[in-house]
Amino acid sequence: MANVSRRTMIKTIGAGMLTAGLPLVIAKTDEHAAAIAAATPPVGATTPPITYVFFSTEEAAFIEAAVSRLIPADEQWPGALEAAVPNYIDEQLAGAWGRGERLYRSGPWQQGTPSQGYQLRFTPAELFHTALAAINKELAKAGTPFATMSPDQQDAYLRSLEAGDKDLDGVPSVVFFGELWEFTVEGFFSDPVHGGNRDMVAWRMIGFPGAYASYYDLVDRHGITIDRPPMSLAEDAHGHVHMNPGIRAHSP
Amino acid sequence: MAQRLKPVDVVTIGVGLTGSLAALELAETGLKVVGLERGAPRYTVPDFQSPAIHDELRFSIRKAMMQDNVKVAASFRNNSDQTALPIRRWESFLPGQGLGGSFVHWNGQSFRFQVADFIYRTHILERYGQKFLDACGPELTIQDWGVTYDEIEPHYDRFEYLCGVSGKAGNIKGQIQPGGNPFEAPRSRE
Repeated sequence: MANVSRRTMIKTIGAGMLTAGLPLVIAKTDEHAAAIAAATPPVGATTPPITYVFFSTEEAAFIEAAVSRLIPADEQWPGALEAAVPNYIDEQLAGAWGRGERLYRSGPWQQGTPSQGYQLRFTPAELFHTALAAINKELAKAGTPFATMSPDQQDAYLRSLEAGDKDLDGVPSVVFFGELWEFTVEGFFSDPVHGGNRDMVAWRMIGFPGAYASYYDLVDRHGITIDRPPMSLAEDAHGHVHMNPGIRAHSP
Repeated sequence: MAQRLKPVDVVTIGVGLTGSLAALELAETGLKVVGLERGAPRYTVPDFQSPAIHDELRFSIRKAMMQDNVKVAASFRNNSDQTALPIRRWESFLPGQGLGGSFVHWNGQSFRFQVADFIYRTHILERYGQKFLDACGPELTIQDWGVTYDEIEPHYDRFEYLCGVSGKAGNIKGQIQPGGNPFEAPRSRE
């Protein structure tokens, strides 16, 4: 099953991303997953609609359909759409990061080698608007808007972007796909304060406990399982997570 | 108009690992020290306070503690045949800024050099002979450091105890210790 193997891959990526640098051994068991799952809203539960401030209706339709294929829901866990990843991407692109926060944007402008990193003139916001306009124009002309394709057709189209042989009005499609994938993973696994990972579903899925303030009392206790429900860094005493997508990527 | 401040004995350029330790040592001798640092003053509380400090997106992914690429640009190339281009976002190396510098976000590993590292020319000479060094030609610029491991050892010891470096010693005063690395240079204590 294509979905099952992709789900396994996503879980592996998430576990690697989130535990790197943490002095924690998280014992992951099926019982643990079941316990956490019990506290998770079922797949297909009504998800509040997203109010977009960056994407147009057509752009949002592509993003929602695309992230649903990159991290699809399965029988047990919600996917990127249900976890509000499009909301995360929308907020990021509408904000400072979208405008090129921490991105050097002066010359010289020249195509570099892969090891020289990003060398395009586009801010993230410009890159998404440009690439999405080109994609939607192409697909509308062909009479097959992305959101109306079958899942297999959508996968094939995303693969064609990933392969990098398309020019999206100056954005190499491989670059756009890379940004989209990066944003999708970030929105799924990062703290819900940033607008994605709704109800901390990604953390429940991989057994990540989130932003507990201190493990000081556990320092001398070895081999124990950390299996408490996850906690957001923006969670108040009542368990409400206060979203704040305006957090700047700046030094304190 | 420029404000003229009272002269001090010492000014450190940067208040990272080196600048802050040097400033501390000098101040303790009674000298007046001023440290200059770019970026914000930062303190354990509130700047590195939990749970906000656990924001992996902000710090690990977007590198919030590093120098701002908009203000600081370095160029990069793999070899002299390439054209050096700006590093538009930090990837492979991560220069920090602000009070504490990279000491705030270093990896926390503190290895000692080996005895031979301080006397590399002598070490190679004794191990392989003058003929080996001669065969390498004038491009071989290897030298001894002019300071030996034994001279540095008390300072290693002091720094490790100051920082609370943990681990198991593998060699205390020449005695190999079970559970430690038997290849490390002798330590004066655990």
